[in-house]
Amino acid sequence: MICRKCKAPAEVSLPSHNTAFCRDCFAIYFTRQVEKAIRHHALIKYGERVLVALSGGKDSLTLMLELSRLEYDVTGLHVDLGIPVSSSAARAKVEGFCERHGLKLNVVELAKHGLPIPDVKKYINRPVCSACGKIKRHWFNRVALEGGFQVLATGHNLDDEVARLFANTLRWDAGYLSDQGPCLEAESGFARKIKPLYRLTEFETACYAFLNGIEIHSAPCPYSGGASFTGHKELWANLEYTSPGTKIAFYDGFLLRGRPAFAHVEQQSGAALAPCESCGSPTSTGLCGVCRLGIAVAERRAAAPDRQSDPDRQSTPDLQSDPDR
Amino acid sequence: MITVFVEPDNETLTFARHNTVLMLQRRLGLRVNDALIIRGGRLLTPDSRLNDGDEIRIRKVMSTG
Repeated sequence: MICRKCKAPAEVSLPSHNTAFCRDCFAIYFTRQVEKAIRHHALIKYGERVLVALSGGKDSLTLMLELSRLEYDVTGLHVDLGIPVSSSAARAKVEGFCERHGLKLNVVELAKHGLPIPDVKKYINRPVCSACGKIKRHWFNRVALEGGFQVLATGHNLDDEVARLFANTLRWDAGYLSDQGPCLEAESGFARKIKPLYRLTEFETACYAFLNGIEIHSAPCPYSGGASFTGHKELWANLEYTSPGTKIAFYDGFLLRGRPAFAHVEQQSGAALAPCESCGSPTSTGLCGVCRLGIAVAERRAAAPDRQSDPDRQSTPDLQSDPDR
Repeated sequence: MITVFVEPDNETLTFARHNTVLMLQRRLGLRVNDALIIRGGRLLTPDSRLNDGDEIRIRKVMSTG
């Protein structure tokens, strides 16, 4: 294959776009996709402070590097989950990356806040991935607001977004369908949340990371076995393989025609939010879900410090009453 | 002989012969954009020819949480 633009030998084949690029032209293509996302959805204005959530994976590190090259004012945020071996390896990749590129980094250690994920898994009777996601989103938003950042950026790519949209559609979850998209405006105690990589696939971010020498943390989370999104991604990969371009058409079609209809419904039925009595994060109950989780873990840790996983454990805090952004 | 190292499975495979990257991907049950195919610091496209003695790194791209 040859590069569509300069006719040099291609390194990246993109059937979805019926094209191929050499590494230099792929870099230009990648940047233009990010710029297009930012421009079309007014994701960031120059001068705004952007907090970028960094897991250590290819997507978040790629996003950080690309936004810094576009001269946005970016700072990284890594949440150390406290999972043995896995978390220290991920954190080392993030710290090494930021040091190498001269980028600012904040780290939140969940163990210091009484909620290391192994304890959540041990003491709370609910899927750990759900609770972990909730806790991470809580800290992303909290650090953004407390640190004076106008924007919170995450590295969600097209595959992530399509898999999430598909899951939300399977459940006809009007709440999530009303606000899924590349930009959630700041409101009710939430920073503006953006996904500048939403037009790019996992393959494309992996190519970018490789071609830019980014060292990534690629080992799967030891607690994530059987996550449903992985199955949905597999299904969509088959669809994309047989009909290139299906993913972006599905997602763009939703943004254009689906989301506005669900947003109208949610405006009429959305719950009122108020600051959490403990941490100030937005919640529809007195204490937010993460503060209630922290209390539950602390109580059960004190009552039975050596307890093992038990399917018959007592009930757990209801996190669903909190907004999830 | 072609040597193939698969990430993140950390598995090493050897094959007597495959003419192209696409043939290798099909042999491994991979779709075109399921993985980066790397040889000597460069990415290979599906039509790239493989040679005897090649050392190929396959980096699967689907994140699993």
